[in-house]
Amino acid sequence: MGEAIVVTSGKGGVGKTTSSANIGTALALLGKKVCLMDTDIGLRNLDVVMGLENRIIFDIVDVATGGCRLEQALIKDKRFDHLFLLPAAQTKDKLALSVDAARAIVGKLKSQFDYVIIDCPAGIEHGFRVAITGADQAIVVTTPEQAAVRDADRVIGLLEAEHMPSPKLIINRIKAHMVRNGDMLDIDDIIGILSLDLLGVVPDDEHVIKAANQGEPTVLRPDSRASIAYRNIARRILGDPVPLMTLQEEQSGFLSRMKKMIGLR
Amino acid sequence: MSSFANSPSKGARGNSIAVKGIRNGLLFSIADDVSFADAFAELTEKLQGEKRPGEKDSPAVAVYLDFGDRELSEEDDSAVRELFAGNEDFTLESMEGAPQVRDLRHKDPYVLKSTVRSGQVIEHDGDIVVIGDVNPGAQLIATGDVYIMGYLRGSAHAGASGDHRAIVAATYFDPIQVRIAGVIRRAPERRVQAAEMEFAYLDGEHMAIEKMEALGQYRARGRTSRVVV
Repeated sequence: MGEAIVVTSGKGGVGKTTSSANIGTALALLGKKVCLMDTDIGLRNLDVVMGLENRIIFDIVDVATGGCRLEQALIKDKRFDHLFLLPAAQTKDKLALSVDAARAIVGKLKSQFDYVIIDCPAGIEHGFRVAITGADQAIVVTTPEQAAVRDADRVIGLLEAEHMPSPKLIINRIKAHMVRNGDMLDIDDIIGILSLDLLGVVPDDEHVIKAANQGEPTVLRPDSRASIAYRNIARRILGDPVPLMTLQEEQSGFLSRMKKMIGLR
Repeated sequence: MSSFANSPSKGARGNSIAVKGIRNGLLFSIADDVSFADAFAELTEKLQGEKRPGEKDSPAVAVYLDFGDRELSEEDDSAVRELFAGNEDFTLESMEGAPQVRDLRHKDPYVLKSTVRSGQVIEHDGDIVVIGDVNPGAQLIATGDVYIMGYLRGSAHAGASGDHRAIVAATYFDPIQVRIAGVIRRAPERRVQAAEMEFAYLDGEHMAIEKMEALGQYRARGRTSRVVV
């Protein structure tokens, strides 16, 4: 029996879909059998980020309404044999996927996969309820902005009300130089407010945008810092105590300082 | 007690006193449109008529009298007091109506041992004690005091039903908004460092904030002023 993990945030645009894609791919890299499940009905993105958009024939609403079997809707990833995507519907109404149907689908997926990563839509309404039902664990993604932290806090309260075991936190798109100058909330500020266990910190990295546009999850590029962060997150999910990357390391080394001086950075 | 409240009253002047069971006794509301003599006669009748045979050992029932807008003369006042002095089953608790919030000392505080998060609202009739943080967007509403052992970053309303003596206290005091009774105060626009161990109280019309050490003094001041009034 596998484990279902919902990736949620409340606020939109903080990196739920990117995190879902990268965590799922990183777990697949580590040899796990993974299914990515997109519950953002009407605004599906996960297929685009994974580069699997053109392979969609059936979607999660077809499965829920009996239009096809679950196996028919599952799309096998281009790169890994044991990574699958269950896409959201793009044209149907979001109420077409009921909470009960979603729970049944997650239950079936858990019996076939080691990990089911559920990409949650923004907001705290029906789509959120659909996404968290059936999840055994939750990952809350936030960015170092007051509004994102506020929404994360709201979502954590709702998860706790649903008796979800203490969610884990990912702080996304942190910019070391802004934190250092005091222009951005730092990690301690955020943990101080949200009081959650930190699963990982993902530095702001242009590779992520580039990779998403190419339909290649960032984790497949070993040279990007965000990639390393997501790989570490996947290892922590598997129970491996990987230390946090220090954000300062890019400035502290002698070599990087030299590079900076001669304008390579 | 309930048979007393519901029993049809005897006598012609049956409607000048309404009896209501309240949390710690009985509330007698005396109508404004009857003479004091009539009301007094009915009060006597109600108290005398309710001898409770076989319940001699039960404690006396506390009675709160509400005379509405009526002003009692000194003679009337002492007549009422004497009436109760001669009655073993009832004690006169107050002649100013139902007990006010702060007088209900036995009201249980609500103790919450967790973080109160954005969007969560905790309402309680009495004091609220949070052992944990109150985050921005969270709201506490108490008819009594609010005590937070942790960060107050959200909003707190003490004395929500009008108690001006209520306070809001926190280990780290950095609220978005604090209300006491009907007075609202919001955080300064420029964010400042959270103050440690402070409490907010009403100083007349205005809200004031003081170090926690001053709380004892504030309470003592309150007690003396209440005796004077």
